[in-house]
Amino acid sequence: MDMNSALECEKKSLKKLKKYRLPNRFKTIGIGVIVFSLVSIIVNKTSVDNGLFTQTAKYGILLGLLFISLSKEKIEDELMINLKMKSYTFAFVISVIITLTNLLFTFITSALFEKQMNVFKGIGDWQVLWFLLSIQLFYFEFLKRVSR
Amino acid sequence: MKNRLKIERAILGITQEELALKIGVSRQTISSIEKNRYVPSTVLALRLSELFKKPVNAIFELEGNEG
Repeated sequence: MDMNSALECEKKSLKKLKKYRLPNRFKTIGIGVIVFSLVSIIVNKTSVDNGLFTQTAKYGILLGLLFISLSKEKIEDELMINLKMKSYTFAFVISVIITLTNLLFTFITSALFEKQMNVFKGIGDWQVLWFLLSIQLFYFEFLKRVSR
Repeated sequence: MKNRLKIERAILGITQEELALKIGVSRQTISSIEKNRYVPSTVLALRLSELFKKPVNAIFELEGNEG
């Protein structure tokens, strides 16, 4: 394989990856997964065992949000792709700001009130991913409404 | 960016829905372009120009400070 064909092959696979979206029905599947996970958490709260099961259900919520985020619109055209890209950028920036602000806030309050400068607890991976996906979905819906 | 999409559509006597179907986008996209809320891609602009049988410059026009 020469250099040009290798580059062409790479370009094609990158294009495929960029265009990759799940079918529209995954939106419903995603909502179903979220509802199921939420119900599982609520039901499980009343029972004794709420360790591993609750944790799995929490990641189920993230999976549901990811399904909704990656699923196509009924008519997926360039406007929708454009709005989606804007919402991903916005969500990424806001999530980083929230994470950093939280980290800084925890650090300052712990230094002030606990007199320990080395306490550097940030928010967990689940919260960061939840922020990211929720902000993306809400902002995308907002952009869709505004562009009408 | 200004555009004459609404006028050109009125000349052809077609609705936003019909235009959207002809060029393979959603009605929302046509509405957004008409309201100057969205600047279409070159591909979409060329498709519109082909449909209206007019050059792209006759449909889309740069505004004062954009040039």
